[in-house]
Amino acid sequence: MSMFSIGLSGLNTAQSALNTTSNNISNVYTPGYNRELPKLNEASGGTGGVQVSDTERQFNRYVADQLNSAKTQSSALQKYSEQVTQIDNLLADRDAGLAPLMQNFFSSLEDMASAPSDPASRQGVLGTAQTLSAQFRSFDGYLQDMQSNIKSEIQDEVTQINNTTKQIAGLNREIALSRAQNGEAPNSILNQRDHLISELNERMDVRLNIQDGKTYNVSLPNGQPLVTGKDSFQLEPVQSQNDPQRIVVGYSDGRGNVVELKEDLITGGALGGLMSFRQETLDKTQNQIGQLAVSLSIAFNEQHKQGVDLNGDQGEDFFNVRQPQAYSYQGNTADVDNIRFNTGGIDDLRATDYTVTFDGSGPTVTRNDNGSEVDIEWDNTTLSFGGVSMEFDAAPTNGDTFEIQPVRRAGAGMESNIADLDKIAAGKLVESEENTAISLVGVDTGAFSDGEAYNITLDGSGQLTFSGAAGYTQPTDIIVNGNTRSVDGSGMVSGLLNAGDKLEIDGVGFSIDEILSTGSGEFVFEKSDANSGDNRNALALQNLQSQNVVGGSASVSGAYGAMVSDVGNRTNITQVNLDARQGLTDQLEAVQQSESGVNLDEEAANLIRYQQYYQANAKVIDTATTIMDTILGLRG
Amino acid sequence: MRISSVTMFEQSTASINQQQSDFLNVSKQIASGRRVVNPSDDPQAAARAVRVDQSKAVTQQFEDSRVSARNSLSQTESILNSVSDAVTSAKTLLVQASSDTLSNVDRESIASEMRGIYETMIGQANATDGNGRYLFGGYADNAPPFVKETNADGDKFVTYQGDNNTREQRIDSSRLMPVTENGDSIFKSVPTGAGYVAEADGDNKGSVTFSGPQVTNVNDNDYGENYRVGFSVDTFGNATYQVERHTGGVTWSSDDTDGNGLPSGTWTAKNENEGLDLSFGGLSINLEGAPDNGDEILVAQAGSDQREPNLFRTMEEAIRVLETPADDAAQKADLRNTLNTSMRDLDNALDNVLTVRASAGARLNELDVVDAVGGNRMLNYEQTLSDLVDLDYVDAISEYSLRQVGLQASQQAFVDVKGMSLFDYLR
Repeated sequence: MSMFSIGLSGLNTAQSALNTTSNNISNVYTPGYNRELPKLNEASGGTGGVQVSDTERQFNRYVADQLNSAKTQSSALQKYSEQVTQIDNLLADRDAGLAPLMQNFFSSLEDMASAPSDPASRQGVLGTAQTLSAQFRSFDGYLQDMQSNIKSEIQDEVTQINNTTKQIAGLNREIALSRAQNGEAPNSILNQRDHLISELNERMDVRLNIQDGKTYNVSLPNGQPLVTGKDSFQLEPVQSQNDPQRIVVGYSDGRGNVVELKEDLITGGALGGLMSFRQETLDKTQNQIGQLAVSLSIAFNEQHKQGVDLNGDQGEDFFNVRQPQAYSYQGNTADVDNIRFNTGGIDDLRATDYTVTFDGSGPTVTRNDNGSEVDIEWDNTTLSFGGVSMEFDAAPTNGDTFEIQPVRRAGAGMESNIADLDKIAAGKLVESEENTAISLVGVDTGAFSDGEAYNITLDGSGQLTFSGAAGYTQPTDIIVNGNTRSVDGSGMVSGLLNAGDKLEIDGVGFSIDEILSTGSGEFVFEKSDANSGDNRNALALQNLQSQNVVGGSASVSGAYGAMVSDVGNRTNITQVNLDARQGLTDQLEAVQQSESGVNLDEEAANLIRYQQYYQANAKVIDTATTIMDTILGLRG
Repeated sequence: MRISSVTMFEQSTASINQQQSDFLNVSKQIASGRRVVNPSDDPQAAARAVRVDQSKAVTQQFEDSRVSARNSLSQTESILNSVSDAVTSAKTLLVQASSDTLSNVDRESIASEMRGIYETMIGQANATDGNGRYLFGGYADNAPPFVKETNADGDKFVTYQGDNNTREQRIDSSRLMPVTENGDSIFKSVPTGAGYVAEADGDNKGSVTFSGPQVTNVNDNDYGENYRVGFSVDTFGNATYQVERHTGGVTWSSDDTDGNGLPSGTWTAKNENEGLDLSFGGLSINLEGAPDNGDEILVAQAGSDQREPNLFRTMEEAIRVLETPADDAAQKADLRNTLNTSMRDLDNALDNVLTVRASAGARLNELDVVDAVGGNRMLNYEQTLSDLVDLDYVDAISEYSLRQVGLQASQQAFVDVKGMSLFDYLR
């Protein structure tokens, strides 16, 4: 072999090496690019010279896998943090949030208690009530906007994921083809495929399976395939079965069936971040706002009904309350016919959704937020739990399942119902004498519709008798513990009563505290005169601010504080986790880059190196020419 | 370790970003003056701030409530002040009128002075607050509580149309304070322990007059019962008297509670020297004059059912008797008896008005005390709130300069990294 061919092989190799270096330099900022190194070998055949055996892609599968899984988690946290910060900001404003408006509302009630018939103070109550309920609505509106943004973001993400899986399947095919043709696939296609896998991981958590060291198979964490060889399977945004308002991810198998994927199956990536934010924080916050709205409205309405307005009428509902939402699963035999808040059991109202399932032994109700089973009351027609009562249009059969959202959108339905100054019930409706045996517990709508004054006697045996004296009404029946009992012509209630019994007489509720052992207890109650200076109910309404009306354990402002703390903590934790995870991801990225990334200084050095290499080889040919000339010159 | 060019740039920009966001955070804190801008800055502090804010708002409510309570109580107090002055002048006039040297005309002029006081008092009883609400009507505060009516005989008298409620206000978390007094408690009450009042029946035709009653023994078993002294005169002009005890409704008994007979006998006390001292139930009363058949003198506890106190009626009675000429013995007796009764009643009424006024004054004092406590509490809440969420400027400003230095350093680092390239040397 001659120096010429050796020099030529050197020149070729140097050129190829320079090409590789230039390619590295030009792709220094290309995402997904892996730096390449020319692999030099002695020329085969023992004739001397050099050859480029391979242009090697500097790619480390293990580091790439680690980086992908780190990216899955950090992009989930990134998304979560992006969203939760919005709620955090919503609650940040101490001067325009719910808390100051509730304070204003109760302070206007204080004004009304000082001057119960003053139109200005009454107008103040109406005004602050409207502002407060508007703020509840706007809070819910804000959160509902976030719900619909998440909806469209999920749709976008699913579209992107489908595009990516389709591209991966396509690249799998191309790679297989070029392997068949050249035995080797071009680095650029391999880079592209690895980059797509990394992008896919940023969108959701997937499992990568490499078949025969060349074909990439991608599947969901539960094993359902997204890419197998040249085929890809689609995800689809679908309506959730238990809540038509909600978009979840469905998996479409090859035969065109779409199966709803459980929300907690999709964990990592932007999609997972969105889903877990929606489930953990957004739903909960919306429920908390709703719970606050319902608890405040119902407590206020109940107290307002115990009052009398300036026209001498019983107080109406002060706030409108949006009733609970119920959704029936497809294939149910029964549907929810009537669902409402159970004002008597409103202390059980919680900021959560429920799933009601019927099996052989009757209904089972579980909380959706922690999965625990709750206590129910079921008499084969009415189902009551968690401050909600409902009936069905037909007898539910085994397997019927319902999703109940008691307070999810309650914030949106809070409105003040009273527009007329006179209708605020600042006075007390029921005038009753102090009595140790019987105490007043509440007043229903339509109290005193049959009469205006009642005189009852409860003797030692538990017999309740209505006096028929002039000025007093004898009802024909009363309600004892929910059951109607008749009253005979002489005013005697059929059946004896016991301590602890709950009575309802013409819409006014009492409880029997004790049956006197000696003598008989007399109790007179009547509709009050509705005098303009009566502020007793205004005082009672004002006092609601310090009562535990939310879930029976917290005042409205306490519950709001708990919500602020909850959201604050979540935001804070997410931020901390994100920082930690981001640090890890950055580190792995640096590791990956140190292996696969391009260093311009290095490439500059390589340029010089290979340039000199080229020049040296050219010199070899030059020398060979000189030698040849010398030899040729010998003749002449 | 090999560093890729991308890593170098990314790390520099990431650190600039980080520094910039920290820097902005501190400037946001400084601009708002708050350490906790978002709840996530310090969730515990933010939640506690909501609660402290609420306590502060409630304290503010009570403070506002105390302002209107004070307003209403001071109005009440000042009106009661004038009422007590009026009662005192009425009493002075009656003392003047009871002098025997006065003529009918003199008494009539005193009566017209009394009428002036009476009218003023009605005006005061119907006083309104700043909002046009009647102060003394109880809950019925939208109409004058004291209304003049005319009875069948054409006599004008005042009735109370209000109720006997008092409006309360929550002036502190656990204190509901009555902030008004109703007409009933001011004009139609006597303080407890007001003692006995004797009153001659309006239909008396004889000339029996009384002096007293005096309480002789409050430990007597029958002290506290109500009595009457009845006279009967037969066709021969022989008079007897009988003391009776009220046993409820319209029934009277001639026995005391132990079943012993109450004083009775033949009437002999015709004039001053022969006045008859009667003692029963721990009381003694002196009677004299000539009774007519059916004449009665009531001796009852002030404030009891037998003798409901009413300042306006007392004034009306006094005016009536002063306007009536006292010519014969019966009229003179009526004058003497009525003035006697009225003076006792006025004394009781004055005591009552002063008691009510003292109670309003005590509540005003209580308001001052609660105000001071509430003020301290407010300060505490403000301090707590400030500790929770407000910014320590010294800390924040030093942090601010630190972040500034950090940001500048990372920017400098970027410039330096950018400037270092081998390509620069390949020329």
